[in-house]
Amino acid sequence: MEMARDFLAHSRLQLIGLFILILFLAVAIFAPLIAPHDPEESKTPYQPPNQEHRLGTNDIGQDILSELIYASRVSLTIGFLAGLISVLIGATLGMLAGYYRGIVEEMVMATGDVVLLIPGLPLMIILAAYLSPSMWNIVLVVGLLWWCSTARVVHSRVLQLREMPFVEAARALGGGDLYIIFHHILINSKEVIYAKFALAVASAMLTEASLSFLGLGDPLNISWGEMIHFAFSRGGFANDMWWWYLPPGLMICACVLGFVLIAMDPERSQKAQEL
Amino acid sequence: MLSSRRAYFLSKLVRYSFTFLLILSLNFALPRMMPGDPIVNLLGEEALHNDPRMIERLRAEHGLDRPLHIQYIGYLRSLARMDLGYSIHKNLSVAELMENSLLWTLLLVFPSVVIGSILALLFGSLAGFKNNSRTDFLLTALALLFYTCPPFLLAMLILSIFAFHLGLFPLGNLTSGGRLGLDYVLDVAWHLFLPVAALSLLGASYKFLVVRNSVTQIFDEQFIVAARAKGLTERCILLRHVIRNVLPPFISMVALSFGFMVSGALVVEIVFSLNGMGTLIYDAVVARDYPIMQGSFLVLTIFVLAANFAADMLYGVADPRIGGPH
Repeated sequence: MEMARDFLAHSRLQLIGLFILILFLAVAIFAPLIAPHDPEESKTPYQPPNQEHRLGTNDIGQDILSELIYASRVSLTIGFLAGLISVLIGATLGMLAGYYRGIVEEMVMATGDVVLLIPGLPLMIILAAYLSPSMWNIVLVVGLLWWCSTARVVHSRVLQLREMPFVEAARALGGGDLYIIFHHILINSKEVIYAKFALAVASAMLTEASLSFLGLGDPLNISWGEMIHFAFSRGGFANDMWWWYLPPGLMICACVLGFVLIAMDPERSQKAQEL
Repeated sequence: MLSSRRAYFLSKLVRYSFTFLLILSLNFALPRMMPGDPIVNLLGEEALHNDPRMIERLRAEHGLDRPLHIQYIGYLRSLARMDLGYSIHKNLSVAELMENSLLWTLLLVFPSVVIGSILALLFGSLAGFKNNSRTDFLLTALALLFYTCPPFLLAMLILSIFAFHLGLFPLGNLTSGGRLGLDYVLDVAWHLFLPVAALSLLGASYKFLVVRNSVTQIFDEQFIVAARAKGLTERCILLRHVIRNVLPPFISMVALSFGFMVSGALVVEIVFSLNGMGTLIYDAVVARDYPIMQGSFLVLTIFVLAANFAADMLYGVADPRIGGPH
């Protein structure tokens, strides 16, 4: 009884997360239909919220609401792709390490430990500063440095799986390594990987926001973090223009929350949720 | 018994030395590996404004025309002399620039790590103990809110509410200036209160979620059932059995969070305009002043490494299984 209630409570959270994400996805896809103005178009700058511009205008007179709607495309794309890259790398390495053990395992785990130790933001700042400022470089930088925790979790899951009777049976029946990995190990770790993917996207979005806030974002593809960068560096924050910096901030919060919520699964709550 | 603990310490020492060397090498490789002229990558974009003969001279000085292994030895030598390069943009050596900044950043990070960890341990145990109650729900919702909030936004909101609108705290900077002795210390504490609060909450949110989950999990274990059957009070079980089991992984989590806390501190500093590493890096990003970024990365990483090493040593003492007969 209690378990059933527990399950419902959790899956309700997942449903809420899913709902939030679908909402954001719809906004991103139908941005041209929803946005009241062209986000590039310049009018009178520094307008407070009014009838024409619900969230006012920024320092070069662009409609903030429209900018916010278009920025969801950039933020979601970067978060999604960076999360995808990090999970692909992490899951592959974790799988190899857990399945083949030995020297591969030691190498992967030792590298992961080193990468986990390095403070992420300073290294990403350097990398992003050397590379030209484009959203694809940010995807690469964030994706390539965020795989360790996925690798760890997948690794420990595979360690459990490889000793299980059905895997041994498959091996005894003459199943090759590739067959066992794809048909047994991968299938049985997919939930861990899904959860990790959602959390990786959440982390990637937060990291991208920090990088963009520092002024390392793509000037041609404005993300939510970058909107706050401009609001902060061009007087929006100092002059208490909350309508400029608060909405993109809330968008980041809500979107990250959506990804965190869909990763919440009652079945294996603890390990996979190590963020 | 002693030898097993010694073996643990020794293996950690080897691992950390290896990591240290790897990070030094990464720092060496980055400017030479990245796209663009290595001399610009080493000196910052300001270097381009100098005349070409000067640049050739600098190129020779940095040995960029020599083979890599010779460059590497030269790099290690200059590091041993605490020479982290020179910022042409600021016209000062990087080591000099960081001297003060690093101190302030550490003054922001350390209290935040301690306060955040204590908050997480206290409230995490409470929420895990009262699993599925209203307290649990409220605390977890709050932690999720702080977790999903980007560090700079939380800092901006706190600054805006408590300093700008309520006027309870200063709007930025580290001191009001012109104070001495205890007065100075109190003044700095007053200035650091909000940034430390912001960073503590950020650090606590993630740790809270982990502590809460592990406490909930441990309550399902057999030995807790046994302890209940023995007739121990819930309070006693929580304090003696549960916390004891949460503590060792908690220490390693706190250690690993140093990197995250340093990253957070950089951003919080910028919002509160504190003169720490974050502000230094921010200015460096704007001016594409690579030596400062590199030096900061190296120094911050070494600091995080040292903190982790210390925590691992502590772990060796806190976990009775290490140093046991096996």
